Amino acid sequence: MPSNSEALASFVESAPPGELSNVTNAIKTIAGDSSLQSLGPALERYNEEQFTTVTLPGSSQPVVVSSYNSLGDGRYFDVESQSSFAFDHNTQKASAVQSYALESKNADLIKSILKSLSTHSNEHYPSSSLGVYPIENDGAIAILLVANKYSPNNFWNGRWRSQYTFSSGQLTGSIHVDVHYYEDGNVRLLTDKPVSASLSSSASASEIVRQIASIERKYQEDLNKAFGSLSEGAFKGLRRQLPITRQKIEWEKISGYRLGQDIGGGRAR
Amino acid sequence: MASADPFDSALDLLRRLNPKDTSRNVSLLCQIAPSLTEDLLESVDVPLSVKRCSKTGRDFLCCDYNRDGDSWRSPWSNEFEPALEDGEAVMSSERVRKMEVKANDAFDVYRELYFEGGISSVYLWDVDDGFAGCVLLKKSVSPGGKGKAASWDSIHVFEALDRARTAHYKLTSTVILNLGTEAEALGSMDLSGNMVRQIEQDMPVEDDGSHVANIGRMVEDMEYKMRNLLQEVYFGKARDIVGDLRSIPSIKETEKDKATHREMISKMAR
Repeated sequence: MPSNSEALASFVESAPPGELSNVTNAIKTIAGDSSLQSLGPALERYNEEQFTTVTLPGSSQPVVVSSYNSLGDGRYFDVESQSSFAFDHNTQKASAVQSYALESKNADLIKSILKSLSTHSNEHYPSSSLGVYPIENDGAIAILLVANKYSPNNFWNGRWRSQYTFSSGQLTGSIHVDVHYYEDGNVRLLTDKPVSASLSSSASASEIVRQIASIERKYQEDLNKAFGSLSEGAFKGLRRQLPITRQKIEWEKISGYRLGQDIGGGRAR
Repeated sequence: MASADPFDSALDLLRRLNPKDTSRNVSLLCQIAPSLTEDLLESVDVPLSVKRCSKTGRDFLCCDYNRDGDSWRSPWSNEFEPALEDGEAVMSSERVRKMEVKANDAFDVYRELYFEGGISSVYLWDVDDGFAGCVLLKKSVSPGGKGKAASWDSIHVFEALDRARTAHYKLTSTVILNLGTEAEALGSMDLSGNMVRQIEQDMPVEDDGSHVANIGRMVEDMEYKMRNLLQEVYFGKARDIVGDLRSIPSIKETEKDKATHREMISKMAR
């Protein structure tokens, strides 16, 4: 068995989009206020992996928190707003904003990707936040996109996350979709799609973003097809809507069914 | 904020965390807050486990209602697997066991007609002014070649209170439906969860056979409704939410089309 603090950390990790504070509040009630202290690393991991967005004081544009734009000591930077900020992983609030100048040999490409990606995301995501950062000692570029939609009044929340690394012409990464529906139940969609594509090592920002756009479009189309095939395949295979006779059972005559319709003895799995 | 009840908070947490991990999360919660153990095991539905009845060779389903310590009662033999060490368990009355045998035969037919496989088990017990019970159904499909395992677990818990020539039935039904698929183009996709519904109903009763038929009808109607609901949520709602996060057609084009459409309608209305 994992330790109590490992167990609580696994609860944080599994928190649905937009419901982290509900999860930590429940944990507090069950395990006591002091339990939150041990959750620090788990909360940091959650925020960085889920690309938590935060609005900087004095700004209206949310910026992304991730391992790719971490400066250490709880500080992160944003290219677009040219600022760095302290982030409280527990309250998900930003403070101590400072100006931040991007220093990278790829600075121009990074800014162009941000611009192209912003045009693309406005076309296909009703609401999204972006991040493009130099990583691996300036040897690669990380490109992030996160789109959240929270509708707790209708008992659902969703998140789309894409992450790509561009390095010597190779674009690799993954797309994750996380949907939670919880009216009279608890239903969760979790997807993980690894992606990769080859471009020229001197690919322009618009070429890179065009590739991303085509990968994401194809993925959503494949996902929509998968909903259809699960519904027609696995779901139908588990339980019929009606018996093969297309009639509901006549329960008064149930004992006669066995003889009349030669039903197997129930041993078959 | 008012101080919340730990048990309510545990249920709230289980309603939010990945439903695929509910069994594991229940045991973790019991470890963290041992005082919640009994209530959680009693009120949280988890996928049903399967045991083989050594007397009849038939598989049966296990839940908290046929459990005594680490043993489970087979509906086919009325005996515990493994046998109870410390004496006899509290067994149901002869009348209720008779109904239980009938109900198991009836739901075995139901299972074959709707699930074309799988396992069913019905357990009944005595309560004041009547009896109570649960109808359990499970079907799993193992992955062949590609794809992931799929499973359906129904847990119908009911109470039947005797009135004059009728009975009052109260049914709480949970269906746990786990689906998933994995393919080169798609990556992995997991669509899992559970839904709960309740209903109360009065129905005429002539003899104990009427009870079995009444419960059969209630469970059949409930599963019919729940299957439609699951279809709507899993394949309609979930897909629509993905569409709310990301739009395949350009949002600007869609807005333009909508504006044109509105304009046309308002011109026609003039």
